[in-house]
Amino acid sequence: MSDATPRILATHLENFKHQNVRILGKVTQLRGEHAQIDAGGLITILLGRDSHLTLNHAVEIIGKVQQDLTVRVLASTDFGTGIDFGAAAAVVDATHRYKEIFYGDE
Amino acid sequence: MNYNSYDNQYSTSYGAQGGAGGGGFFPGDGSQNSPGSANRSYSKDTLRPVTIKQVLEAQPMHQDGDFKIDGTEITQVTFVGQIRNISNQTTNITYKLDDGTGAIEVKQWIDSDASEAQIAARPKLAENDYVRVWGKLRIYGSKRHVGAQIVRPVADFNEISYHLLEATVIHLHFTRGPPELPNAGAAAGAAANGAYGQQQQQQAGYGGGMQDMGGNTALPSMSAAAKKVYNVLKTTPQSNEGLHQQVIAAKLNMDMGEVARAGDELLSIGVIYTTVDDVTWAILEVD
Repeated sequence: MSDATPRILATHLENFKHQNVRILGKVTQLRGEHAQIDAGGLITILLGRDSHLTLNHAVEIIGKVQQDLTVRVLASTDFGTGIDFGAAAAVVDATHRYKEIFYGDE
Repeated sequence: MNYNSYDNQYSTSYGAQGGAGGGGFFPGDGSQNSPGSANRSYSKDTLRPVTIKQVLEAQPMHQDGDFKIDGTEITQVTFVGQIRNISNQTTNITYKLDDGTGAIEVKQWIDSDASEAQIAARPKLAENDYVRVWGKLRIYGSKRHVGAQIVRPVADFNEISYHLLEATVIHLHFTRGPPELPNAGAAAGAAANGAYGQQQQQQAGYGGGMQDMGGNTALPSMSAAAKKVYNVLKTTPQSNEGLHQQVIAAKLNMDMGEVARAGDELLSIGVIYTTVDDVTWAILEVD
């Protein structure tokens, strides 16, 4: 499926260079056009013009992993403050362990 | 986070699926139904949580309009996705939904008889909103879409995680069978969590990480004598022929008539079965 966006954490960035991915993390720093989110590790993201992030809120971003492992944001959705990151990490684990129903050809 | 509130809405259909898939009591498993049966039975309707990728890859069956996922027939499906596009048609609203595993069109028909109040009560949906959909997979030409009964906004974003994990559990249930009991260890735990009902067993198994699900087991009510007999059957090493009621009576120092009554009780609620003759019993276990 070409328009699939695998859910990943910071530790998976290396394996998804130049691909579109989906990351759920907590906004830890806002610095103009850059921001940092925590998703099983810190990730630097490059914001688009339409991205509106709120510090300490959970945010789901769809973005492209760059060569230097930063992520260029294509779309972001504010998930508020009630997110269970443990469950989110379990989802990432499940989606890669049982790929057949989530991503890839088989 | 209380995930049980999400869970409640499905418990009925899970029970049905679990019974068919896990135990082999009922010939309700999709694969065993004769494919040509003309009479549609709503009793085998299921509501299955799926990913959009599973919907896109569901296998069409011979008769029109039916699909299989993981070798099991599906009727209703439910999934969570983000709205990428909304298109208001004269007869329906078409949403393009994306859940990260794929994208599919969801059509909700417009009820032209709806009153003003009903129309006003409809949730207002916008692009990029997350929604949960209940509906049926349809194929038109070669294009798949889901005809939705309900499209409602996701209020708690944890529902997305919940849904994806739930879809995984159900997928594994159909491809690998029900999970094994978490090893309760203590005999008391084994007795309390034992294989009284498959649904229960499943919940205990699935519940692994969720404390609320495993511990709370409502057993079928039975007499004290029946419980004792059940426990002896459960804990005594035996062949697959089980135990003769005389052996049980001797072990428990119980009267033969009492053991026979207890056995009848256990047989009637379906937790033991007779083996070589009417007075030799074994525990009915799923695994």
